[in-house]
Amino acid sequence: MDGIHDLGGRQGFGEIDVDESDEQFHEPWEARVRGIVNAMSGAADWNLDWFRHCRELLDPADYLSRPYFDQWVQTYCAMLVNSEVATVEELASGKSVAPVSGMPAPMRAAAVKSARPGAKRYDREIDVGPAYSVNDSVRAKSHGIPGHTRLPAYVRGHAGQILRHHGAHVFPDANALGEKRFEHLYTVGFPSSELWAEAQRQNATVYLNLWESYLEPL
Amino acid sequence: MTKHDSDTIAAIHRELHSHLPSEPALRAKALESLLVEKGMIDPAAVDAWVGAYSEDIGPKNGARIVARCWIDPDLKQRMLDDAARAVKELGYEQSHLIAVENTPDVHNLVVCTLCSCYPTALLGMPPNWYKMAAYRSRAVRDPLGVLAEFGVALDEQVEIRVWDSTAELRYIVIPQRPAGTDGWDEAALASLVTRNAMIGTERDLSARAAADT
Repeated sequence: MDGIHDLGGRQGFGEIDVDESDEQFHEPWEARVRGIVNAMSGAADWNLDWFRHCRELLDPADYLSRPYFDQWVQTYCAMLVNSEVATVEELASGKSVAPVSGMPAPMRAAAVKSARPGAKRYDREIDVGPAYSVNDSVRAKSHGIPGHTRLPAYVRGHAGQILRHHGAHVFPDANALGEKRFEHLYTVGFPSSELWAEAQRQNATVYLNLWESYLEPL
Repeated sequence: MTKHDSDTIAAIHRELHSHLPSEPALRAKALESLLVEKGMIDPAAVDAWVGAYSEDIGPKNGARIVARCWIDPDLKQRMLDDAARAVKELGYEQSHLIAVENTPDVHNLVVCTLCSCYPTALLGMPPNWYKMAAYRSRAVRDPLGVLAEFGVALDEQVEIRVWDSTAELRYIVIPQRPAGTDGWDEAALASLVTRNAMIGTERDLSARAAADT
């Protein structure tokens, strides 16, 4: 979707706040939210791409102005309401009116030490071979995609070259609709001069990881 | 049952916007209280995660990996060939990982233009600027300007590689080993490696930094 989240190459956001301290969380509630999200159980048909899409659908002004973990809170609230696990009134008051059934048990404290969130795999072997090989020239498709997608606007219609093939990974556009499909994934390099009229150097390249159906042969 | 419909979610967001408590901390508190009442979180597990982030999870893990790569060129090569497998040897799990190396002729910069993807198992939580619009919009278009704001000036011949984390592949930059560190042990070397150097917003690490701290 052509939403506010698709920020690559947009202009006018000003300087970066580079003097930030090394603390991982700046407020106690932020650490708490991170912990809640790691520890909570959820509907069986939730996944990372659905979460991302629900965050992309925040009101654009909220997306740009609200603290990051506050956006997580509202995104999970929206997912809970949408899946009929909680009502807006319950989320506003923090008081449960009706119990939920059919949820998996939440994580226990004893399981946290051995939890390995980074160990989750998103790839799978598929029967279809890759359409592209390393060094092939490709073009990113030029049309936008209405729902969730990981094809950023700034590369659409531009030519690049395959740097690496990563096997088949879960396809985000379908995953965000609750549909598990796997597609070949490639790292594609786009020369900065191909992407930007004012490219600063000839020897600059932007690399993206793009699924096969985002690409066409050149 | 989840209804995977964009317009429905956007409408719920608008409703939440006008009904949830006014402060972020209060919104988080209400969410936590409700999830406890509904049996969807164990508050002790939330406490345990908060503790894990303050003790075990953070950029010191990535710094240790970089230090080991500086000491052991074979390990560094294994990182560049298959980073996920190489970090597993060292006891870390980041299933889809790419390591990119800075050299005198190459500088790498990592961004996630679409959200804030980051190798959390190795670097902990991303800094706030990594999640904000200014960095996400500019890193792919104005890398020299971004680097200048972080105090990095690149020589004219240096090639710039910007990595936009658009899939479940995470990136870690292996910075160059500072001069004057021959014979240093892993812990001393790791103390020189900053979070920003592993994202690519810092380039020249200094052996003096450790002595000063």
